[in-house]
Amino acid sequence: MIKNCYIHIPFCDKICSYCDFCKMYKIDDFIDTYLDSLEKEIKSIYKGEVLDTIYIGGGTPSSLSLKQLKRLFEILSIFNKSKTIEYTIENNFENIDRDKLELYREVGINRLSFGIETTNKNHLKLLERELDLDKVNNTIKICRELGFNNINVDLIYALPNETIKDLEDDLKYIYSLDVEHISTYSLIIEDHTKLGINNTKNISEDLDYEMYKYICSSMKSNNYKHYEISNFSKEGFYSKHNTCYWNNDCYYGFGIGASSYIDNMRITNTRSLNNYCGGKYVKEVEYLNDDDKMEYEVILNLRKSNGIDLDMFKSKYNKSLIDVYNYKDLIDLGVLVLDNNHLYIPEDKWYISNSIIVDVLERKIYG
Amino acid sequence: MQENIRNFCIIAHIDHGKSTLADRILELTGAIDKRELKEQMLDSMDLERERGITIKLNAVSLNYKKDNKEYMLNLIDTPGHVDFSYEVSRSLAACEGAILVVDASQGVEAQTLANLYLAMDNNLKIIPVINKIDLPSADPEKVITELENIGFNRDEIVLTSAKTGVGVDKLLDKIIEVIPAPTGNKNAPLKALIFDSLFDSYRGVITSIRVVDGEVKVKDLVKMMETNAVYDVVSLYINTPKEKEVTSLKAGEVGYLAASIKSISDVHVGDTITLDSNPAKDKLPGYKPMKPTVYSGLFPIDANKFEDLREALEKLKLNDAALTFEPETSKALGFGFRCGFLGLLHMEIIEERIEREFGIDLIATSPSVIYEVIMTDNSKVMIDCPSKMPRRELINKVLEPYVKCSIFTPSEYIGPIMELCQDKRGNFLNMEYLDETRVSINYDIPLSEIVYDFFDRLKSYTKGYASFDYEITDYKESNLVKMDILLNGEVVDALSVIVHKDFAYNRGRIVCEKLKEIIPRQLFEVPIQASIGTHVIARETVKALRKDVLAKCYGGDVTRKKKLLEKQKEGKKRMKQIGSVEVPQEAFLSILSSKE
Repeated sequence: MIKNCYIHIPFCDKICSYCDFCKMYKIDDFIDTYLDSLEKEIKSIYKGEVLDTIYIGGGTPSSLSLKQLKRLFEILSIFNKSKTIEYTIENNFENIDRDKLELYREVGINRLSFGIETTNKNHLKLLERELDLDKVNNTIKICRELGFNNINVDLIYALPNETIKDLEDDLKYIYSLDVEHISTYSLIIEDHTKLGINNTKNISEDLDYEMYKYICSSMKSNNYKHYEISNFSKEGFYSKHNTCYWNNDCYYGFGIGASSYIDNMRITNTRSLNNYCGGKYVKEVEYLNDDDKMEYEVILNLRKSNGIDLDMFKSKYNKSLIDVYNYKDLIDLGVLVLDNNHLYIPEDKWYISNSIIVDVLERKIYG
Repeated sequence: MQENIRNFCIIAHIDHGKSTLADRILELTGAIDKRELKEQMLDSMDLERERGITIKLNAVSLNYKKDNKEYMLNLIDTPGHVDFSYEVSRSLAACEGAILVVDASQGVEAQTLANLYLAMDNNLKIIPVINKIDLPSADPEKVITELENIGFNRDEIVLTSAKTGVGVDKLLDKIIEVIPAPTGNKNAPLKALIFDSLFDSYRGVITSIRVVDGEVKVKDLVKMMETNAVYDVVSLYINTPKEKEVTSLKAGEVGYLAASIKSISDVHVGDTITLDSNPAKDKLPGYKPMKPTVYSGLFPIDANKFEDLREALEKLKLNDAALTFEPETSKALGFGFRCGFLGLLHMEIIEERIEREFGIDLIATSPSVIYEVIMTDNSKVMIDCPSKMPRRELINKVLEPYVKCSIFTPSEYIGPIMELCQDKRGNFLNMEYLDETRVSINYDIPLSEIVYDFFDRLKSYTKGYASFDYEITDYKESNLVKMDILLNGEVVDALSVIVHKDFAYNRGRIVCEKLKEIIPRQLFEVPIQASIGTHVIARETVKALRKDVLAKCYGGDVTRKKKLLEKQKEGKKRMKQIGSVEVPQEAFLSILSSKE
């Protein structure tokens, strides 16, 4: 039963230098065609399930005009929503305003996500972003007035030339906004981004780690719970939508470049606007057998603080995890913890979780 | 007709154009036409063509008409590098003459002389050829003088350009004129020298033979004189260079013999084939077996490929008698083979052939020479592997092999070369001027120092202009110690080396630094130590892994994350797990390099 849905809006007013997601400059003609296509895709696939989460991401969904947003929500009104739905939209402070926020309230959006990334002028320049702190303060104030009580902001750290002091300043500012949820990402320089092309270099692995440690302890003393590698929230405000990914649950993904997990298929949509608008939505389908599913179970669940629920695993696959992956020595090494029938990576090792996950996968028992 | 046969080979310093000259001879005798001519026709292995050197010898029979007479020219190709002098001497034994090729701009080099002396030892008639005269830098007059200085007459020398074909016809005439026809008795009992062999999956072992006396025919029952194995001759053929079946091979002729030989061990290169019904009295002299000088452990990365590796080595040994191997067990690397080679290039080529032709990924341990250890009870032990070195308190003294090393160089590099040789514990012997600008410098140097980066440094000190050759002279006592490398506190036997005590600290430091660079960060901090006995002489640390890439799993694109992890998993496959540490393949060779 699919209970989650992701919608991709690829348009942006400006392209950030680090961005590797599916995005493009906002051109009004494209937007109308795109929304038409999105509607067709949804209608052809959605089977009427009651949804627990909807997440509108981008690109920058808030870069759409009020009129375009109205059209978007009209399309999305097809979805049946549960009473406790978490309905999120991503925004940029540069193009959000009171009218759009009021529209969000009307259509039932109850969670807002904003990209701050950094407050430091030099770093903003490197990322090719703009940020007006007065506007930020004011926007958050309006959100609260309108009754939004679940707000996330994104932070990027480990930027070239960034110091711990810079990071401390960013965090201090974010705490002052008193939001419910904070996502933190260490800068990844991807090949086909402007940073990658300019051959920008990452900071040292050791400083990166120091920053991560700093974030963890700082969040803790500000009452944010570290519930997933990159995500912190006040009690009760973890992101239900993102958690569905880590729980290996099924989800719809609509729009260009979106991913879905439906039945036994992991589907990745095309990144080509032409193909998408021509009705060729899908680029790649990965068909999953039980072995693949069990592998995903490990890859995804181990990102969470409570790890893999071994009882859940057994009931899902009729096998114990230890009979599939012989991970026992990794417990002895202290990189995995078995507690209360949950297998998880201890928080101080989360930062090297990829290596630990690979170690688990390598211990697959064949036959 | 025996008097119309000429058996000859081409010898040269590496890269002086031997294979190209062979191509041109093939073309000129009409053996192949220009369209078919791939560069370096005789080099049939991919590896040979890529590296531009000839590894396995190859015999080809060519028809040539002169003054209305049909001649059969048997050209036996030989490798040019110093490591392969054994194979050179093998082909020399099958010939009456040799073409000595010298590059018109480089002049006489170290291996020119080494090969020339080998040919003279075999009583071959030698035709000196100055090749590459088309090059703008060619200076034939200067090279003629050099050749005169080593005993040739000006009128013996042929000038050619194998590239353009100039002079090659003159060379062919010279071959017929100067090189004597074979002298064997075709009515005597059969004596045929096996000078090469290879394994063919359909026809079994195929031998390259030179019939010295008598005649061998298809369906004859033949006997290997050394192993007493008896076989029916299934087919005989010559290489033109297409395979051409013949009904018999007579005294003086060169060809191939197939006899459904399944057992590799029945055939020894250098053995004599005779008729079972009418055997010859005694064998041909054959070859002095060559002793390996450099040893290295070869281990399959995938432990399941141990038997495959054994099979590969057996097949390679078939036509490479100088290769030796015996099983070796390493605590760090598992089961493998201790292999003996004629030199470093020989080692590299065998490793590469195993990886390429047999598809086995290898870890090769740092090469070692053979040490002679005199124990306190005066017994003598030969050590070909550092991990076999006895404990220090049981050793009276250690001797190591020394070589006489001749370096040919333009005179402006004398300074740096002497510095290098002093660095390498060399003792200066003498220096000779070949002409005003070129000298030959002779040093007495431990072989282990040659094995360890000598060639690389010589090349870089002299911009590649110097050439060198060496031969083992004797064993001398040295102050040698075994240096161990410890990872995470455990000795990795495969990384141990034997070094001169004065160099140990420096080597230890370099090796630890290298390993630190090569070993990726692991889940835990890994100390790297170099020690002599229990005494730690150098230490580095690979810090614990701090961070791996945390891709934002955006919009549920977890397929991408899986691909990333799969890539990470692939990368680990090239690593060897030693205790709890993952060590990349290169680590085992890094111990060889002194680059800082």
